Amino acid sequence: MSEEPRRVLLIDDEEVVLDSCLAILEGTDYEVATAASGAEGLEKAGEFSPDLVFVDLKMPGMSGMEVLEELSSRDPTMVAIVFTGFATIESAVEAMKRGAYDFLPKPFTPEEFRAMIRRGLEWRRLLLETAALRREREALRENFAAIVSHELRSPLGAVRQNLFVLIQELEAVISEDQKRRLERMSARLDDLLGMINRWLRGFSVDFAGLQESFQPVSIEEPLAEAVESAEGEAVRKEVEIATMVEPGAVVLGDRGTLAEALLNVIGNAVKYSRPGGRVTVTVGRELQKVVVSVKDTGVGIPEADLPRVFDGFYRGQAAESGPGGAGIGLAVTRRIVEIHGGSIRAESEPGRGSTFVITLPALENPPAASAGPSEEASKGEAG
Amino acid sequence: MSERKKVLIIDDDPDFVEGIKAILDGGGYETEVSYNPKDGWAALKKGGYDLLCLDIMMGRGAEGVMLARKIRKDPVLREMPVLIITSIREQIAFLFPGQAVHPGFVPVDELVEKPVEPELLLQKAGALIAAAEKRRAGAE
Repeated sequence: MSEEPRRVLLIDDEEVVLDSCLAILEGTDYEVATAASGAEGLEKAGEFSPDLVFVDLKMPGMSGMEVLEELSSRDPTMVAIVFTGFATIESAVEAMKRGAYDFLPKPFTPEEFRAMIRRGLEWRRLLLETAALRREREALRENFAAIVSHELRSPLGAVRQNLFVLIQELEAVISEDQKRRLERMSARLDDLLGMINRWLRGFSVDFAGLQESFQPVSIEEPLAEAVESAEGEAVRKEVEIATMVEPGAVVLGDRGTLAEALLNVIGNAVKYSRPGGRVTVTVGRELQKVVVSVKDTGVGIPEADLPRVFDGFYRGQAAESGPGGAGIGLAVTRRIVEIHGGSIRAESEPGRGSTFVITLPALENPPAASAGPSEEASKGEAG
Repeated sequence: MSERKKVLIIDDDPDFVEGIKAILDGGGYETEVSYNPKDGWAALKKGGYDLLCLDIMMGRGAEGVMLARKIRKDPVLREMPVLIITSIREQIAFLFPGQAVHPGFVPVDELVEKPVEPELLLQKAGALIAAAEKRRAGAE
């Protein structure tokens, strides 16, 4: 609906009102339809799809209130204004409660009527715009994975595919340095494709479906995997990753995504550490819980930002180095942890470091399969 | 059977096609290309291919999937191995809710992800063609 809203429907049982309204609007470019009763008005509304409807409250048969309710249930963006014959505040207020945008007491002057139409149509325009934006946002959210997948990945994939071939075909004729640069380009493209894949995961993967294939996992395994993956960056930044693991911590879960969750947290700890810093990973058991805490001595998170860090697209302002990420890692991490019936929280002292604590229900007698999904986060201290 | 094997590529991205066509050509295959499912189907009906490399996401969605299903219903074409080339391995189930598009939706199919490494592509292509020939020999 890109055209300017200009269709006006008038519903009133008094012919004189309809006639005078039509006379007022003569020569304007509004499209006007009229109806002499509530029932006829609803019928007209169906075929005419007006932007703005004037309804008389007091009509024989179907009352103006009923018409209002029906109209707003059909299309909440349709703007309705009531004519109030005997201008009582009560009936006007009642009408507005039922979805009317405003009321116009009879008798009214032509100028009042025209001004009301302008205002009503302007409101309709805003409602339509808002609805369109909302639809667009929803569509974008729903189709994000598809859009990113096709529109971003396809061209990158095509470029990468040709690089594969070019490197092979040119091998004999290019210098080592040229070859190195082509390979460097390939590596950068691979990084980019990997990043897009991670985004897609954050938006689209059905983590809940993972639960069907949960198995007993000794937390040491995904932890070792995550630490190994984070080690490269840590070595470059001269950040030490120390782990202290209490043996025997088993959870019911998916090893791969647990490793991903742990890597996100440990990787962040490294990323926000200062060179020469230290990341301490502790695994302990408390009651029926496995508590993993990741403590860094990095830049920390401002207190005001703490509640937002697990929302999508949060990025630490103080990322001191590196290309950074999409700001989606912790949101994915929280989803993974929650699918495992656990919880994650963050504590931080700006300038001194942060501690992320993941709490997962412990599997006490593996392979007995019972994971309590509703357990509260417990207090976990970093070593 | 020592003549060159014939491979049909159906993919709507000409740049990507160049990338895999060069690999297959280099691997000694005779390649033909269709850039949309319609032309692809026409070429398939003409016959004579040893392998189909099929893109999943074409046109307005998963037209490659439709094509693959059509192929499986065809008494002649169903014997031809199909190598699915896709950029949506993980998202595949998400994109078509209510429509199970599991990578293993046709038993003899293989699936590789875009971009595909040259060695991997040649290895999969060779293996699929060899397996199909073995099946045919067994059936005779």
